[in-house]
Amino acid sequence: MNKILHPFYNIMTSIEVTNLQKTFQTKRKAAGLSGSLRALIKPEYSSVEAVHSLSFKMEAGELLGFIGPNGAGKSTTIKMLTGILHPSSGAAKVLGYIPWIDRQKLAYHIGTVFGQRPQLWYHLPAMDTFMLFGKIYELDDRETKKRIEYLTEAFEIGDLLDVPVRKLSLGQRMRCEVAASLLHRPKLLLLDEPSIGLDVVAKQHIRDAIRRMNQEEGVGVLLTSHDAGDLEALCKRVIIVNHGQIVYEDKVSNLKRNFLTTKLVQVRYALEVSKDFSINGVETLKVGHYGVKLKFDTTKTPVDSVISHLSEAGDIMDITISDPPLEEVISKIYQEANA
Amino acid sequence: MKELKFLIAIWQTNLQSAMEYRAAFLTQVIGMIVNNFIYFAIWIIFFNKFKDVRGWGVNDMYVTFGVLASSFGLVSLLFGNTFTLSDIIAKGRLDYYLSLPRPVLLHTVASRTIASGMGDFLYGFISYCLSGYFTWDGLARFALAALLAATVFGAFLILTQSLAFWFGSMSNFSGLMLNAMLTFGIYPITLFDSYAKLILFTIIPAALMGAVPAEFIRAFTWEVLGQLLLGAIGFLALAIFVFHKGLRRYESGSAIQIEI
Repeated sequence: MNKILHPFYNIMTSIEVTNLQKTFQTKRKAAGLSGSLRALIKPEYSSVEAVHSLSFKMEAGELLGFIGPNGAGKSTTIKMLTGILHPSSGAAKVLGYIPWIDRQKLAYHIGTVFGQRPQLWYHLPAMDTFMLFGKIYELDDRETKKRIEYLTEAFEIGDLLDVPVRKLSLGQRMRCEVAASLLHRPKLLLLDEPSIGLDVVAKQHIRDAIRRMNQEEGVGVLLTSHDAGDLEALCKRVIIVNHGQIVYEDKVSNLKRNFLTTKLVQVRYALEVSKDFSINGVETLKVGHYGVKLKFDTTKTPVDSVISHLSEAGDIMDITISDPPLEEVISKIYQEANA
Repeated sequence: MKELKFLIAIWQTNLQSAMEYRAAFLTQVIGMIVNNFIYFAIWIIFFNKFKDVRGWGVNDMYVTFGVLASSFGLVSLLFGNTFTLSDIIAKGRLDYYLSLPRPVLLHTVASRTIASGMGDFLYGFISYCLSGYFTWDGLARFALAALLAATVFGAFLILTQSLAFWFGSMSNFSGLMLNAMLTFGIYPITLFDSYAKLILFTIIPAALMGAVPAEFIRAFTWEVLGQLLLGAIGFLALAIFVFHKGLRRYESGSAIQIEI
């Protein structure tokens, strides 16, 4: 019974959140011994609103990025969606279940990874945790082993399964962590900062495997991250939160189109040039005898006018036109939301 | 049945984890048996001098200390996280157990084995065998009494440690209550007046961990068995209720965790 999806589960919607709110009571204390004594006699508390009236939907099988700075309320939201925390008010349904009421039933259908909270047993090889998870999710041993084989290939962890987890690198461990969370074929994967502290190669490994699980098994992914690279590589849609509220929600392609209007142009000439590169609306970032680096807004200055101006200066040997990093764009959105 | 299968799987994994460091595991088990013998030597010296205290002799102490050690050992061995539950709550480490489809209290407390508990558990049986009260049906009563005393002890730990949901980390208070349980549990019950006895059956149920199980082991009576069963079921139900009441207040945490 537990493993059957909720009868009212709408096949098209994985997550539906309405006016979700979470307020924590935090103890306040002045610095020093006198502050500690005062707090002992008369403690003072203040309310911190970690999530404020949050509403959004996530479709089944969708790859949704949920990003924001530290303290934005991302992890608190994920914890409410998995049933770890009770909200202060508001409603949420995940795969048709109310997470904080149907926590156990829901847990059979979702996988969770908290980048800062390992779930693999530290002193044992990952294989032992995999087998234990098989028992926790009530899979029979043959089914568990078959699934481990598939995940071993998908996450390239064949050589790692028999090594005690304490001896694995962070990247290797995270691959095993994500694989463990997929052992029971969840419909939805909630990843909280899965790439934290990982190097470029390890991040790429994890992203490739998650993308593959999404394509092959239709697993929906809700991903929180500080890394805009995760967002670009994995997500189709993005929700940006700040101070517990949604400040932006759209497709990643629209985010790029609307906010990536600034271009960077770098040119290298065959011969030395002495032309004045100043054009209206174009900022000169760097200028040398053989090249120049410019920045301009495409909504104000057309790209072709900048290119023709640059080509008049001499024979171009090499030219690069690039977008500013997505991180810069997200930071701009945070600043606009704060203003 | 489903939960029993799960418990067996988790105990197996605990044991595998504890045995990863074979030397440390064996040292803790043997060390604890030796430690308990050394501790008990004080009582042997005491009873050599005074013979008996209000009807209690050294043989009664062997049984009382034995059942106390075995029940303590059983909780350490099978439900090791009852000793650190307060810290787990205060540091937000319940997240892991809450994200898996199992009863959260059972999963949390069963997820750690304290290897020295094996030493305590075994020592209790040795102590009973040396008591002079040994019979085969007495041994069966010893096993049942240790199980019921362990239930009371485990439930008491869960109760005191669950206060962390309301007051933050309660590890010092829990430590204090744990020591009170063990200290009062070993004393002859005949030492106490009726008010003190009331406390030892309710607020600090040490009598249900030492004197009452010892009485049941020495001679079977339905009345004493009833006391033990009532105590075990009552305290366990109260512990589960308080834990779940507190769970609604759980605030998680953002501490970075290195291992489990």
